[in-house]
Amino acid sequence: MARPHIEPFCDRDTGFKNMILPGFAGGMRYKMLSLDVDSGACSMTVQYDGGYRRAPGFSWSEMEMIVIEGELQVGDRTCRKGHYFFVPAGYALPEISTAQGCLVLVMYNTGEPSHEESTEHHPLAQVDLYHSVDSYMDLPWAMGNVTKPSVAAGCLIKLLNYNPISHAMTFLYCMTPGYYQDNISYHDCAEESYHLWGTSWMMQFGEVPTGGYFWRPAYINHGAFASEYGCIALGRTDSKLFNHFHYNPWSTPVENVERSAARLYKRDPLLYKWCLSKDHNHPHGPEDFEDTMQRRGDEQGHDTEHKSDGKTHDHWHGHHHHEPGSPHTHTHADGTTHSHD
Amino acid sequence: MTFKNLFIEHDLAPEVRQWLEEEIAEQEERFKLIEKEMQDLAPTREKWYQEFFDRITTIGFNVDGDDKMKISQADLPVKPEGREDRVVWKHGVDSD
Ligand SMILES: [Fe+2]
Repeated sequence: MARPHIEPFCDRDTGFKNMILPGFAGGMRYKMLSLDVDSGACSMTVQYDGGYRRAPGFSWSEMEMIVIEGELQVGDRTCRKGHYFFVPAGYALPEISTAQGCLVLVMYNTGEPSHEESTEHHPLAQVDLYHSVDSYMDLPWAMGNVTKPSVAAGCLIKLLNYNPISHAMTFLYCMTPGYYQDNISYHDCAEESYHLWGTSWMMQFGEVPTGGYFWRPAYINHGAFASEYGCIALGRTDSKLFNHFHYNPWSTPVENVERSAARLYKRDPLLYKWCLSKDHNHPHGPEDFEDTMQRRGDEQGHDTEHKSDGKTHDHWHGHHHHEPGSPHTHTHADGTTHSHD
Repeated sequence: MTFKNLFIEHDLAPEVRQWLEEEIAEQEERFKLIEKEMQDLAPTREKWYQEFFDRITTIGFNVDGDDKMKISQADLPVKPEGREDRVVWKHGVDSD
């Protein structure tokens, strides 16, 4: 059942626990924010104690992190608060350490926290997806109107990661002092937020302070919104963000999803009818011929159909053939590319 | 719904499974506490709903960005009879 609705929660209300999973060195403590009960994917506030040191290695899961306080040394790079990392599954990070200790928000997206000591990337790692940025110093604030209808103008964002296929996003957002937005919103995606600093208010859940957190499944009402003194937070969605605004505080998630479907019917009636009338019970949706069509390649007659469950990786991108050992690049269905040597 | 990006298959050691079980149990307790707190907030929330209705009928409802539209009193929703005020939905559309 994926992750349950955890809202509101404040990590300041609980103590740290020692991380005991194999691979993580002593001196790592954590507070669990939310956990996917099927996959073990989770978000945690992590305290690395002064002197902490973790050997180079990778996670079996895709991972994101942002420094909340203090300094984290990643290889030869000193990362201060606001430094964000997107780390694909199997991507080997260099040694990480901290002299004085630091607080980091750590998110494992596709599986439980894991650390395999290695100085090499796993062969399946989509290494080109890795990126990191000092989001406080090196990115400008942009208007929050990444989607229409949009949030009010006092909500600004810095986009940190974007999946071009699912439209899932990771972003910093801030609310200016005196911010308010008088509508109730819900989305067709799950939404997550961690308050790095400051307090905001929502009509359903009250105040979310520094260290405040939510994981909210799709179709759950939230808002109106306000922030008296402003706030800065890390936000994520797990697919396309669309703001379904309304003013009925008593609508249920089922009524909300029905409204979403009704709006889809009004906007794209042919597509809606096709989806309903055709018996396409493939668990991952209808076929996209761009993923599956036979391509000319170098040889003829091979099977070009991908067999991915969305987790495992078996060349579900277009199928190219190469001379054994020759360097080449694959383009994935999620719009990313990676190379093999 | 959850992230659908790459995950590399691997075996879970018994201590990892044990850790997951304990974390799931603790999350269950955390969830119950939140659900209770949000039920207790219901009387305050009633006032917040009324203040929201007051604002959207006088100052306006945010339709898109800062574009506002005043909602007439006649268009305000009626709370369905017998429906309790509920804001926490454990599994979203699949909640009990
Ligand atoms: Fe939202």
